[in-house]
Amino acid sequence: MAATRDVLILGGGHNGLVAAFYLAKAGHKPLVLERRALPGGCAVTEEFFPGFRSSTLAHGGTIRLEIAHDMKLAKHGLHMLEPEPRLFAPALDGRALQLYGDPTTSAANILQFSKKDAGKYPHLQKTLARIAALLDRLLTMTPPDIDNPTAGELMHLLMAGREFRSLGRDDMFRVLRWGPMAIADFVAEWFETDLLRAVIAARGIFGTAMGPWSAGSTAAMLLRAPADGNPIGGAAFPRGGMGALTQAMFAAATSAGAEIRTEAEVAQVLVKDGQVTGVALASGEEISAKIVVSNADPRRTFLKLVDPVHLGPDFVVKMQNYRCNGNLAKINLALDSVPPFTALDGDNGNAAALAGRIHIGPEIDYLERAFDACKYGKFSEHPHLEISIPSLSDPSLAPAGKHVMSIYVQFAPYKLRDTWANQRNALGDAVVKTLAAYAPKLPEMILHRQVITPADLEEHYGLTGGHIFHGELALDQLFTMRPLLGWARYRTPIDGLYLCGNGVHPGTGLTGQSGANAAREIIKSIKR
Amino acid sequence: MSASYDVIVIGGGHNGLVNAAYLARAGKKVLVLERRHVLGGAAVTEEIFPGFKFSVCSYVVSLLRPEIIRELDLPRHGLEILPLDGTFTPMPNGDYLWRMNDHAKSQREIRRHSRLDAEAYDEFGKSMLEMCKFVKPILAMTPPDPTTLNPKDLMKLLFVGKRFQALPYQDKYNQVQLMTMSAADFLDGWFETDVLKATMSASGIIGTFLGVRSPGTAYVLLHHYMGEIDGAFRAWGLCRGGTGALSNAIGDAAREAGVEIRMEAPVAQIKVKRGKACGVILTNGDEISADVVSSSVDPNLTFLKFIEPGHLDDEFIEEVKRYKFRGSSGKVNLALDALPDLKCMPGPGPHLRGAISISPSVDYMERAYDDAKYGHHSRRPYIDIVIPSLTDPSVAPPGKHVMSCFVQYAPYKLAEGTWDDQRESFGDTVIDTISEYVPNLKNIILHRQVVTPLDLEREFGLTEGNIFQGELSLEQLFFLRPVPGWARYSTPIKNLYMCGSATHPGGGIMGAPGRLAALKILEENKKGGN
Repeated sequence: MAATRDVLILGGGHNGLVAAFYLAKAGHKPLVLERRALPGGCAVTEEFFPGFRSSTLAHGGTIRLEIAHDMKLAKHGLHMLEPEPRLFAPALDGRALQLYGDPTTSAANILQFSKKDAGKYPHLQKTLARIAALLDRLLTMTPPDIDNPTAGELMHLLMAGREFRSLGRDDMFRVLRWGPMAIADFVAEWFETDLLRAVIAARGIFGTAMGPWSAGSTAAMLLRAPADGNPIGGAAFPRGGMGALTQAMFAAATSAGAEIRTEAEVAQVLVKDGQVTGVALASGEEISAKIVVSNADPRRTFLKLVDPVHLGPDFVVKMQNYRCNGNLAKINLALDSVPPFTALDGDNGNAAALAGRIHIGPEIDYLERAFDACKYGKFSEHPHLEISIPSLSDPSLAPAGKHVMSIYVQFAPYKLRDTWANQRNALGDAVVKTLAAYAPKLPEMILHRQVITPADLEEHYGLTGGHIFHGELALDQLFTMRPLLGWARYRTPIDGLYLCGNGVHPGTGLTGQSGANAAREIIKSIKR
Repeated sequence: MSASYDVIVIGGGHNGLVNAAYLARAGKKVLVLERRHVLGGAAVTEEIFPGFKFSVCSYVVSLLRPEIIRELDLPRHGLEILPLDGTFTPMPNGDYLWRMNDHAKSQREIRRHSRLDAEAYDEFGKSMLEMCKFVKPILAMTPPDPTTLNPKDLMKLLFVGKRFQALPYQDKYNQVQLMTMSAADFLDGWFETDVLKATMSASGIIGTFLGVRSPGTAYVLLHHYMGEIDGAFRAWGLCRGGTGALSNAIGDAAREAGVEIRMEAPVAQIKVKRGKACGVILTNGDEISADVVSSSVDPNLTFLKFIEPGHLDDEFIEEVKRYKFRGSSGKVNLALDALPDLKCMPGPGPHLRGAISISPSVDYMERAYDDAKYGHHSRRPYIDIVIPSLTDPSVAPPGKHVMSCFVQYAPYKLAEGTWDDQRESFGDTVIDTISEYVPNLKNIILHRQVVTPLDLEREFGLTEGNIFQGELSLEQLFFLRPVPGWARYSTPIKNLYMCGSATHPGGGIMGAPGRLAALKILEENKKGGN
């Protein structure tokens, strides 16, 4: 064996870097092994066309405030841009909704659609913010042991229980009732404007295999509320693209004492007598360690990197049933100029309105039909899109006057009837055609188009099933059940092997919370 | 004003009758008011075509709580349940899947499709049994209020929690999956044969406006599986004389206990004085007073139709309006001149004595739902067919047969037109669909009765045609059914109670809501709370 390390972290995605930082800060010497040449996992900025840089995969998201603060990310070069309006959603009739961080400004815009909805919107924002405070406690806690909860865990639950009670009876019942609801029902209880309903519902189905009529999609939305209590979520983009975020994390982790090796693909996690002993790299090199932390998704970790004899057939079968088939594709466009949307007046007056997120999906039924396609192994010809044009607020991403458009496409299922290699261009065409209905001049402005399918996400970014959240965010795979009931506490059946990615609680995308929670548990167990 | 009663029960459906019987047995003077000329609500038998007795709505009996059968001594009052043997699923390729009550036979048949599934089927049966054992006591309890610090409620929550904790790991795992997953996903974890998964997932969607891939349907699967546990695998059955015979047996038991039942006595209003229910007013103007009113009809009728505005606060009314009905099923009842002949297994035989399920693939089931989502009845619906006259010849003339077809989806809210315009096209769709598997069907139909969700609402008082008086979705179960904070049979109006399927544990011919509500009424009256 070549070397012995204190702690190995497999994967230099944002959660791996967060875990590395906290472990290093606690005095350990973690080594992060990143498969690609560029650390950052799914939060990277890459030049996809000469002079045009885009957040290749994830294009927006907010790291949890405490974590950003602990890591001193601002000092390490992170600068967040928060354009207003946060969201622009064109309707087919030529009108458009523009929503802001401030609820009253949002309400003023909603007024053009419905007076009733305008009145209710600030109320929803307030309610969500209240409930978010409670949910936040749940997100930051390690899910309790289902067999023998410790005194500390019970205290934590009790505290959550107390907070729950302090919400008052109405909110208490709201939380209980909303969780399992379909988000289409949730938004219908609040609003009458279909476009507004669709915009909020989109937050519950993002990245999942759920349509707005799927039960439990409200839970997925609530899970995101602590990151931002705004009903439509935030619109925050790091200057320099998402790569700037992970670069700052990388700097924070290394200055705390962590080490990062790129182009170091792990082929196997080595186990002896139920205890992890290290890893073997694809190059054949072996590194031994008492603790191995996997930032890879649970299926990849257990079904690819660990020999199944160490896990037992029961665990393996359950892991095989862990649902992890993605439905999201990503398209990056290099544009000659800002595409004029028909819902906005004038050719150039519209740039300011487009700086946040752009939502394409005018009705609940539209979103649901987009979802229907993926159930039968087809991508939607009329997909739901979430777009950002980061170069509007960050000109460094594109040559002067030109722009980058980053598009999340739903629904594009990993399990396609045909192969993605055959369908890649058809998907790109469907997306451009869909967009052209709102911005007719867009097709002629495209200088380059990069289509990243779920198959690419798996192959190039190591996301099993192309799932951006390392596994479905459905009720049966959350909290004490993420990834599996009884294994939600960052530990695994193998002593010394831990999980720290989105496949463990809370699994909320880019917040970094899974990594922070995992680090806390690992540090505790090393002390014991 | 006529005579005064201790309790008036609104609605003579099975829950209303169970409720009345328990109250009368405890010494209360009880009056049941039924709107129609037949007793039983949606559990009725009617002679729609001369000589043919149709179980118009509910057609199989499975979930009736054994304690109710025992305590009300229903067999003595004429209840006889005839076993219904198995489920036969014809496939478009000419093959079939036949699951029988004989476990070994089913396993052999499944092995024909997949060796792995045959093994898993065994284990699946055992696991579901464990799950049923876990859920059963919860069905028999009044839901606790999770928001109070009342020790009694906390004990109940603790009881549920402790029972859960005591489960072996595998059962815990199954239980959380059942509570949260879709039927299709849940079954995917067990089986590989598509037709097996499709036909099993069907019980996850019955009566709901959800597809087999919608999260939450695994629970409904369990809800229906419950029927197979009491008395082993025999409890899915038909009532001799049709489902109405069951209502008559409960009615008989109630009358024997002293209950007065008045037919064709539709209620117009529940009288409320100073926040207390004190009787009812009938549509003919008659007023009847009582100390307690127990409503077995759904919350929409109870609170929005029968209670004059002003007695309930706006927030509660909002909650009631929010309660989801969304009927999704219809029924086609046929009088047949001869036995249907299946393409994949021609001639008479035991396969016709069970249920015949038109559920050939998971995608077929899901597509049926997709149609309904956008306001159309399914172009190719899921159909559950029973020919009760084979098991119980008393319901049809000699040599002739009755065929009951439960159909999903038939959404209450149509995108275009009304159910009155679409009734016949819906009926045609059902007949066409079945004819693909039963070629002689069209030649042997003597009479066809199509029951749409609108008919269920108009004729049987089920709002939006929901056969469970409200969807069995997670946010409408247990302490959230029907309305958060009012899941314990009592209502914001003193002395007014709910005892129908809209309360915990929900729908099906279970009788549990009626019984639990009766116990609650008796408990609160003993305390002298009135």
